[in-house]
Amino acid sequence: MISQIAKKEMLEMRRDGRFQVASAIVLGLLLVSLGIGWQQYVSVNRQHEMARAETREQWLSQGKKNPHSAAHYGVYAFKPKSPLSLVDRGADQYTGVAVWLEAHKQNEFKYKPARDANTLARFGDLTASSVLQLLVPLLIILMSFSSFAGERESGTLRLLLSMGIAREKLALGKALGVAGGLGMLLVPAALIGSAALVLASDSGSFVANLPRLGWMTASYLLYFAAFVGISLTVSALAKSARLALVCLLGFWIFNGLAAPRLFSDVSRTVHRTPSSFAFSQRMDGELKKGFDGEALKKKVMAQYGVTSMEALPVNFLGISLKAGEDHGNEVYDKLYSELWDTFEAQNRLQQQGGVVAPLMAMRSVSMGLSGTDFAQFRDFSVAAEKYRRVLNDAMNDDLKNSPKTEGPYMADEKLWSKVPEFAYVMPEVNVVLGQQAWSLGLLVLWALGATGMAGWAATRRLRAE
Amino acid sequence: MIGTVAKQEWRLLKADRTLAAVVVLMAAMVGYSLYNGSSWVAFQRQTLGAAETEQAERKGKLLKTLKGIEEGRIEVKGTQDPRSAASIGGNSSAPYLAMPPAPLATLAVGQSDLYPYYFKLNLRSKQAILANDEIENPTNLLAGRFDLAFVLVYLFPLVALALGYNLISSEREQGTLALAMSQPLTMREMVTGKIVLRGGLLLGLVVLFTFAGALLTGVDLGSSTVWLRLGLWVSLMALYTGFWFGLAVLVNSYQTSSATNALTLAGAWLGLVLVLPSVANLVATSMYPVPSRVEMVQAMRVAGKEAQSKGSMLLAKYMEDHPELMPAGEKPAADFTTLSYAVQMEVDKKVEPVLKRFDEQVEKQQAFVEGFKYLSPAILAQTAINDLAGTSLGRYQHFSRQVDGFFDAWKGYFLPKVFAKTKLGSGEVAGLPVYQFREETDGDILGRVGVVLAGMLVLSGAVLWVGYIRLRRVSIS
Repeated sequence: MISQIAKKEMLEMRRDGRFQVASAIVLGLLLVSLGIGWQQYVSVNRQHEMARAETREQWLSQGKKNPHSAAHYGVYAFKPKSPLSLVDRGADQYTGVAVWLEAHKQNEFKYKPARDANTLARFGDLTASSVLQLLVPLLIILMSFSSFAGERESGTLRLLLSMGIAREKLALGKALGVAGGLGMLLVPAALIGSAALVLASDSGSFVANLPRLGWMTASYLLYFAAFVGISLTVSALAKSARLALVCLLGFWIFNGLAAPRLFSDVSRTVHRTPSSFAFSQRMDGELKKGFDGEALKKKVMAQYGVTSMEALPVNFLGISLKAGEDHGNEVYDKLYSELWDTFEAQNRLQQQGGVVAPLMAMRSVSMGLSGTDFAQFRDFSVAAEKYRRVLNDAMNDDLKNSPKTEGPYMADEKLWSKVPEFAYVMPEVNVVLGQQAWSLGLLVLWALGATGMAGWAATRRLRAE
Repeated sequence: MIGTVAKQEWRLLKADRTLAAVVVLMAAMVGYSLYNGSSWVAFQRQTLGAAETEQAERKGKLLKTLKGIEEGRIEVKGTQDPRSAASIGGNSSAPYLAMPPAPLATLAVGQSDLYPYYFKLNLRSKQAILANDEIENPTNLLAGRFDLAFVLVYLFPLVALALGYNLISSEREQGTLALAMSQPLTMREMVTGKIVLRGGLLLGLVVLFTFAGALLTGVDLGSSTVWLRLGLWVSLMALYTGFWFGLAVLVNSYQTSSATNALTLAGAWLGLVLVLPSVANLVATSMYPVPSRVEMVQAMRVAGKEAQSKGSMLLAKYMEDHPELMPAGEKPAADFTTLSYAVQMEVDKKVEPVLKRFDEQVEKQQAFVEGFKYLSPAILAQTAINDLAGTSLGRYQHFSRQVDGFFDAWKGYFLPKVFAKTKLGSGEVAGLPVYQFREETDGDILGRVGVVLAGMLVLSGAVLWVGYIRLRRVSIS
C-alpha cells in the first residue's frame, strides 16, 4: 500500500511539466556549479602548490645574508584550498589568501578574492552548496505542498480514507514519494560530485576526505528530511493548498534570505567587532611598551656569570631580538585571540540561529566539513604564525651563537635549510564535528521533529474536508 | 472609469486584512534596515573621527618638537632625526586619506563593507597602503547585511507580486469578471485601475517610510544633491514597481488560475533575483578569470629580491640621474633608509606591469558584467541604489584615483628630500597639503544612474506593453 502511494506521487510528479522543468533547472545548476567548483579548485590548488614550492626555493636561495636580514625577508604562506571546497566555497572569498611571515610582526592575511570580484558577486555565489541549501528545499516545497491539501480540495482524500487505508501508511507513502522524486535528482548529482572529488584530489587526500564527505551527505539528508517533514505538516494542517504554499514560501524566504543577514546583524550587535583603527592603535600601544633592555642585559650577564657585556660568550643581539619577538608574540597572541574569539562567538550565535532557521545550522556544518569556514581559516593562521616563530627563533638562535667579529656576520644556505618547510595539515574530521556539535544537533532535531510533526498531523489532525 | 476601479479596489483592500499586513510588514522591514544602515554609517564616522584626532595629535606633537629644535630647547639625539624627510613624510605627519559616507549612505551598505574607506599614507608602496581594510568576520561578509537595498531589491518584489498575482484571475474565480465587463469598462481600464492603486499604494508606503526613516536617522535634507538623489531613487522605485506589476499583468493575461499565477511569478522572481545574477557572475568569472593574487605576490617577491641584490647600485644610478639631490660634500651615502627607498622605487617600477595586467583583467570582467545588468531589473536596481547611496564600486574607484594622485604628489615632494637628506622645519610641515575628499558630482551620479533608469524603463515598458497587448485577447468567461 505504502509503495503504491509513493509510486502514485512520483508518477504525478513525472507528469507535471512544471515539476519536470524545475527539477531539470535545479539539476542543471547543481551540475554546472559542481563543474565550475571543480575547475576552480584545480586551478587555485595548482597555483598554490607552485607558489609554495617557489617561496621555499626563494628562501633557500637567498644567498649570503645576516640571519636577521633573512628573517626580514621571510616567507609567504598561502592558504591551501580544500578539495571539498568544490561543494561549498564558504567564507573562502572573504578571507585573504596569503600572509607574509616576517620578523617582528604578525601580518594580516591579504588579498580577499571578493575584493577583486565583479559587483555581481555579492548577489551570491552559484555553488553546489547554494543549490543544495536554497533551491532543493524549494523543490521539496513544490513537490509536497499539495500532498494532503490538494487531495482534500479535489475530494480524493475523502475517497482514500473511506477505503480504510491507515493514515500512517498514507503519510509514509507520501513522504517516500517526495523522497523518491528527490532521489532521482540527487543520486546522480551526488555520484557526479563524488567523481569530481576523485578527479580533484590525489588518491591519499580523497581517502582522507571521505569521512568529511560522508558526514556532509548525512547532514544534507537531515536538512532535506526536515523540509519534507515541514512541507507535509503544513500541507496536512492548512485549509487549502494555496495557503500551504504561501506559508511554506514565507518560511523558505525567512530561512534562506532573511535569516543569514538577521543573525549576522544580531551576532555583530551582541559581540562587537573593534574597528581596524582601534585594533591597530591598541596593538601599537601594547607593542610600544616593549621590554626592559637593561634588565635583560643584567639577567643575561648573571646567567653567563660575567660582569660586562663585552665578556659575554654569546652575541647579545640574538638574545635581545629573541626577547623582542617574545614580547611581540605575547601581544599578538592576546589581541588576535580576543578578536578571533569574538568572531567565533558571533559564528556560534549564528549556528544557534538554527533553532528557528535550519539553514543557519546547515550552512555552518557544510562550510565546516568543506574546510572553508572561519574556524579552519583560524587554524591555518595559527599554524602559519607558529611557523613564523620557528623561523625567527632559528635565525635569532644562530645570531646569538655567531662569532663576535668585526664587520657583519653572514649566514648561508646551511642555516636556511635548517628551517623545515612549512607543512599544513587540515584538522581531522572529529575536530570539525566538535565545532559543529550545535549545528549537527539542531539538524537532527529538525529532521526528527519535522517528520514526527508530519506523522502527527497526518494521523491526528488530517480532516477529510 | 479608471478612477472608479481604483476607488473600488481601495474599498476592497481596506476591508481586507491585506492592507494592514502590508503596512506593518513594510514599516518593519524598512525601519529595521534603515536602523541597520545608519549604525554602520555611525561606525564609519566614529572611526574616521578617531583617525582625524590621532592625526592632529601626531602632527601637533611633531610641530612642537620641531619648534623646540629650532629654538634650541630640544637636542636631537640618537639615530632618528625628527626633522628627516623620511620620518616626517612616512610617519609623523602622514595623513589619513578618508572617504566619508555619502549623505544617503544609510540606504545601502553596498560594497562599503568590502573596500576600505580610509588609508594611512606612507612613503612606501601603494600596495601596502591599498591592502589595508576594515576588520570583519568573513562569515558576516558572506551573509551580507539586512540593509534597505536588500529589502527593496529582494523582498519588495515579493510584496508587489503578492498584491498583483490575481489581478484578473481572482475576478474570474469569484465570478465577478463577467459582471465587471458588462459595465462600460474595458479590460485594460480595469487592470490599469487595479495596478495604479495597488502599485501606487505600495510605492507610496515605501517612499513614505524611507523618508521618515531617513529623517529619523539624521539624513541632511538641506542640500540639493540629496534631493536629486532622492528624486532619482523614487523614479527608480517607481519603475521597479512598474516592472513587477507589469509581470503580474503579463502572467494574468495567460488566463491561468490564481495558484498557477502565483507559482509562475514566484519562479520568475527566483530566476531574475537569485539565479540569473549568480549565473551571470559565473559566466563572467569563467570568461575573464582574474589572474591569481598568489602569482602577483610571487612577481613582487622576485622583483624585490632582484632590486635588493643591487640596492646600492640603484642608489648610485639614481644619484647619477639626479645629481642635484646629492647631499653637499658627500659620496652617495648608502645608509639603510635611502637604500631601502631606492630599492622600493625599483620594485614599484618592476611590479607595475603585473599590477596593471591584474587591474585590466578585473576591469574587463567588470565591463563584461556591465552588459549583464540589463538582463535583470534586480541587478539594475541594486547597482543604482548603491550609486545613489555612495557605496558603489564606482565611488570607490573615484576615491582610489584621488588617493593615487595625492600619494604621487606626496612622494614627489618627500622622496627627493629623502635622497638629498634635507631636514624639514616647522614652517614646511605646517604648510604641507591637506587631503580633502572630493565628492562625485551630481553629473557623475546622473550619468551612471540615468543609464540604469533608461534600462529599467525599457524593461518595465516592454513587460507592460506586451502584457497590455495580450489583455485584448483575454476572454471574460
